[in-house]
Amino acid sequence: MDLNRTFNISPDVTSRALDPEVVILDLASGTYFGLDPVGARVWQLLSDGKTIAEVYDLLLSEFCVSRDVLEQDVLNFLSDLEKKRLII
Amino acid sequence: MGQYVLSEAHKQTPITISPFHVSNLPDGQPWTEFYRTSAGILLRFPKLADFEVSADGALISSRPAPGIPDATVEHLYLNQVLPLALSKAGKLVLHASAVELDSGAVAFLAEAGRGKSTLAAAFATNGWRFLTDDGLVLDPKDNGYLAMPSHPSIRLWRDSHERFLTADAPAAPPISYSSKARLLADSDLKYCNEPRSLRALYCLGCGTASSVSIERLSAAESLVQLAKHAFLLDIEDRKLINTHFDRLADLAERIPCFDLDYPREFSELPGVRRAVVGHAMEAELS
Repeated sequence: MDLNRTFNISPDVTSRALDPEVVILDLASGTYFGLDPVGARVWQLLSDGKTIAEVYDLLLSEFCVSRDVLEQDVLNFLSDLEKKRLII
Repeated sequence: MGQYVLSEAHKQTPITISPFHVSNLPDGQPWTEFYRTSAGILLRFPKLADFEVSADGALISSRPAPGIPDATVEHLYLNQVLPLALSKAGKLVLHASAVELDSGAVAFLAEAGRGKSTLAAAFATNGWRFLTDDGLVLDPKDNGYLAMPSHPSIRLWRDSHERFLTADAPAAPPISYSSKARLLADSDLKYCNEPRSLRALYCLGCGTASSVSIERLSAAESLVQLAKHAFLLDIEDRKLINTHFDRLADLAERIPCFDLDYPREFSELPGVRRAVVGHAMEAELS
């Protein structure tokens, strides 16, 4: 995946931050998704227009995790969000 | 509250447009069909009645199918149509029963068949008072929510009826599509007719717990549960859905929400009552 890529939140999606978590509502399907604190942080960074590389760097500075593990987890998470059409 | 108009019986004629939503029974048969009309939304309960809800949710008119008893139409109105219309009018309405506890109220959220009416009856026949057995309306107030009383009756299956009340307990006339009895409030089934400050929300589990279990949900988990158990008439109105989502998020942040599960045996209910009363009275909930 291009590390300089940014994502847009789908126009079919609305979300609410309930610190430290986030709940996403897919208006197209009426489905709700809950994000844990780490997922919520990624969602916030994506909403702020951060690139994938920036997301990696910021999370590495905030969480005690190896780069390999973090990159794989974030990639899986982004892939899941894309498949569900929550980000485009 | 809005205006309700009951019209003469009228044969249900086919509707040429497709419903924008259909709610099905567990056997897959359609229970409620939702159609958009020039005046608002038409709710069709096949072979039972049509209800038209105005665009602002303030006016409801019903057209029963021929031969459908008034009690059935009234029941559909109170339990199905009115909560949906209230949601269109901007009210927060949950699939929940509620009982009064120490001048406040607690609510039990669940889909049909999970035991929210039975639990309300277990309280209301043992010294507490119920506010509603379903369609709980919540009104925001300065620092929380008021649980509003609704129709003074509880719908129970025969086994629950026999467990809690005598066979001659006052009841509304039977309805045509369910064998549940609608038992009316009286001195043996105590009813609270005044709003009460909501202290806690309990989401009923599926009965797999081996003993009474109460677990706190995070605000996000609460919001997902509340969304699952909220009435919403127009699932295509994005502005309404966004507002609805905001209201539910506010509720999730202000009122503590818990998972409540217990074995579904009548013998467990006294223990459930004790657990809920003790839990809801804890200082952090007040």
